[in-house]
Amino acid sequence: MISTLEEKPHIPAAPRKRKVPGWAVAMLGVAGAIALLSITSYQTNFPQLTSSGTTQTAVRLALPILLAGLGGLWAERAGVVNIGLEGMMIMGTWGAAWAGYQWGPWAALVAAVVFGSLGGLLHAIATVTFGVNHIVSGVAINLLGAGLTKYLSTLIFLPLSNNPRQSPPVQSFDTFSAAGLGDWLGELEADQRLFISDVAGILRGLVTGVSPLTMIAILLLPLSYWLLWRTRFGLRLRSVGENPHAADSLGVKVYFHKYVAVIVSGGLAGLGGAALVLNPGQLSYLEGQTGGRGYIGLAAMIFGNWRPGGLLGGAALFGYADGLQLRSGGETVLALVYGVVLLLGVIVVWQLFRRKWFSAAAAIAVAVLMYLLYISLDEIPSEFVSYAPHMVTLAVLAVASQRLRMPAADGLVYRRG
Amino acid sequence: MSSSTSVGTGEHPAVVLTGITKRFPGVVANSDVHLTVRRGEVHALCGENGAGKSTLMKILYGMQPPDEGTIEVNGEQVRFRTPSDAIKAGIGMVHQHFMLADNLTVQENVVLGAEALHGIGQKARRRIIELSGKTGLNVDPGVLVEQLGVADRQRVEILKVLYRGAKVIILDEPTAVLVPQEVNELFDTVRGMQEQGYTFLFISHKLDEVRAIADSVTVIRRGTTVGSADPKTVSSRQLAEMMVGSELPSPETRESTVTDTVVLDVKGLRLMTPDGSRPILDDIDMVVRSGEVVGIAGVEGNGQTELVETIMGMRKAGSGTITLQDQDLTKLGTLARREAGIGYVPEDRHRHGLLLTQPLWYNRILGYQTRRPTAKGIWLDTDGAKKDTERIVADFDVRTPGIDVPAAALSGGNQQKLVVGRELSGDPVLLIASHPTRGVDVGAQALIWDEIKRARAAGLAVLLISADLDELIGLSDTIKVMLRGRLVADADPSTVTPEDLGSAMTGAGSTSAAVQETAVVEEGEN
Ligand SMILES: Nc1ncnc2c1ncn2[C@@H]1O[C@H](COP(=O)(O)OP(=O)(O)OP(=O)(O)O)[C@@H](O)[C@H]1O
Ligand SMILES: [Mg+2]
Repeated sequence: MISTLEEKPHIPAAPRKRKVPGWAVAMLGVAGAIALLSITSYQTNFPQLTSSGTTQTAVRLALPILLAGLGGLWAERAGVVNIGLEGMMIMGTWGAAWAGYQWGPWAALVAAVVFGSLGGLLHAIATVTFGVNHIVSGVAINLLGAGLTKYLSTLIFLPLSNNPRQSPPVQSFDTFSAAGLGDWLGELEADQRLFISDVAGILRGLVTGVSPLTMIAILLLPLSYWLLWRTRFGLRLRSVGENPHAADSLGVKVYFHKYVAVIVSGGLAGLGGAALVLNPGQLSYLEGQTGGRGYIGLAAMIFGNWRPGGLLGGAALFGYADGLQLRSGGETVLALVYGVVLLLGVIVVWQLFRRKWFSAAAAIAVAVLMYLLYISLDEIPSEFVSYAPHMVTLAVLAVASQRLRMPAADGLVYRRG
Repeated sequence: MSSSTSVGTGEHPAVVLTGITKRFPGVVANSDVHLTVRRGEVHALCGENGAGKSTLMKILYGMQPPDEGTIEVNGEQVRFRTPSDAIKAGIGMVHQHFMLADNLTVQENVVLGAEALHGIGQKARRRIIELSGKTGLNVDPGVLVEQLGVADRQRVEILKVLYRGAKVIILDEPTAVLVPQEVNELFDTVRGMQEQGYTFLFISHKLDEVRAIADSVTVIRRGTTVGSADPKTVSSRQLAEMMVGSELPSPETRESTVTDTVVLDVKGLRLMTPDGSRPILDDIDMVVRSGEVVGIAGVEGNGQTELVETIMGMRKAGSGTITLQDQDLTKLGTLARREAGIGYVPEDRHRHGLLLTQPLWYNRILGYQTRRPTAKGIWLDTDGAKKDTERIVADFDVRTPGIDVPAAALSGGNQQKLVVGRELSGDPVLLIASHPTRGVDVGAQALIWDEIKRARAAGLAVLLISADLDELIGLSDTIKVMLRGRLVADADPSTVTPEDLGSAMTGAGSTSAAVQETAVVEEGEN
């Protein structure tokens, strides 16, 4: 037999194209967003869009979303869907208030993490050990979180605050601002010059009234990235979310990694709860305080394609929508609609360039609709405004969902053997 | 249980399994298995589908605990609780079904679980590139596994084992997904490593391969060892008889049933890579007639997978038309195409053919959810599905304790039989079969061939893709050779030899009159 061992015409997998590095894309995205807002605020005469006040509120409101999203990231990367973030967050708020009014803000943080982790532990026991459907367990934890804190509040807070729905006030963190820089930026902002003033406003918002919690949350993001993508522990954790059978066959302790991930996830959600309680505007536990931010955190993570960078973008977006609505009300949100029209215009050009006729047509249709909305209304009704973040979530997910890639074994119950 | 380890020459055997028994609900997968593997040999394990080969290997690899019996490695009795125990003892396993995370890179898949060796960074990367040569893998370690074809995935699996420095390597049907050239390469690798002192446990249903590579053969039937053979003297026929007690089948199909009725007509089909840089399918023209089997020969990764998936509507063609019996399919979705009368045996039964966690009868419904006997009007007909599953299990000899067990509980070959049985039900007019006998034993192979031949005689058109050139030559009425996304040559199955076909597939040019290069290539080569 003559063997025919010629050079193989094997088509090698396409080498990964030299893409623009991730950080550059992120910078471009940020610059684009600022430019968009700046043009919008100039065109519509609403400087609030980029004022330092709005930014400051946005940061404060984005924190809980960011932390909840990070929690979701940890759990889902290990293959556990954590719709119970909301419940864990609620437990975090209660824990933060309970420890906070007695021993101060640092104790509040610790207690929030512990309470949230307990929720996470419960979710892990249910989904990993007992193989309960992840959604069912998550919903149960949300109900449990709400019910348990209600009971505990009546038991412990009622005698102190005479209100079963509220805790005694919690001492807040000292915040600090970059004084000199802030003043200088303030002057720039007041100048009302296109783009420069807007950037100054946003920056000023970012460096004013920074609390240690903000710093911690911001640091947790790169830390999570580093742990999940740059360490052996993270590789194992992610492999468990991608193909637990393969991981198991290589001696990776699947259950252990899932447990750790879900408990950390709960802890982060709890910390998100603490961010709500320690928010200078509230400084106490309030029933129903989380207002679905756990879910929005999850949405931010999905928006960010299960990546930390994207997650930050999602959290910023939702926090901004929330903050704008809270600070300046319906008129400004309407101005944002104008911004959306501009954005859609850019998208249309891009889709035309890529010859995606259908997407382009869809984008044009939505843009026209939005524009009609913009010119026919004076302000967006307040009932509607409070749902702005939810709307943004829906719209974004509808647009982005085709390109999303979740961990392959996400939400699947794993059984050995 | 008597441990009868012979310590004859003072050198312990690499692995001794004594009295291994393993029961699953409803089946005894292994009962009292004895196996001795000498150091430095290639020890083949043969047996029909569901005989318990994979189960035995999983026990040796610590993935499943034995109910009874003992394992000795290098003369020491061991008990493996997890695969990491086995890895520490120097045992590595390449699984029958890939154990890879698609969304992780090659490097991540390889270092996973063995990060302690070279970390997960540059050092590991260099080591992987170093070892890649041994397995013939030439892709960047940073590429996602998702982008690799089956042959490369196989290489990544072997790479994983090498990386861990295993001394005893289990290869569970490694050649099922490889074409002959690749099998030769793999065997070269195996022989080279054998010289360096590695020991191999090798499972295959292809008895020629077993005889070519193995130093000793153990045959398993219905969960127990029934004997061993010397591969140097035993014939494939004798081996087959030991395994299944029947004769070696051949896929010969001489009397032609080809008619003039065109069933599948593909014209000018093109498909680009996702980034649009080069074509995967380049101007494919092809006709399959009623009663005809058209075989596609080609080295893995030359577009066969994409061709099939485009015809099935799983990928969207860039241009060109696909017509089935005068019905234009080009714009239809996959379900509509199936309803138009296409049966489809996918190349990877786990990725596309089955829902592993669902019972067999539920899997019967997949792809037939709008048709009898598995649906009535808008409702699913579970009774009908169950009855028809019973029929498939009986007709195709699917070895299973029942139709309510999840598909994952079936051995690989039996899963394949189920898929083939399902795709031949409902009287399709066209069957697209990608490696229809991948991983099935010689007995079942004959059965599947017979079923295909019978359906063909009744007017079925078949598009056959197979890495098994004997199968391709034996079953096809026409063979087309695919190279770099083009159909470059036609071969006459009555005269072509596997060697001719092999060189045509690699583009080495053919010397045989049986292989006629089509005009396209001649132009290209001038
Ligand atoms: N996890 C499981 N649960 C239940 N039954 C199982 C399981 N794994 C294997 N079996 C059964 O054990 C028997 C042996 O299966 P095994 O996979 O070892 O066969 P095999 O010899 O490798 O066959 P093949 O050549 O088809 O791969 C089969 O009857 C199978 O149905
Ligand atoms: Mg097997």
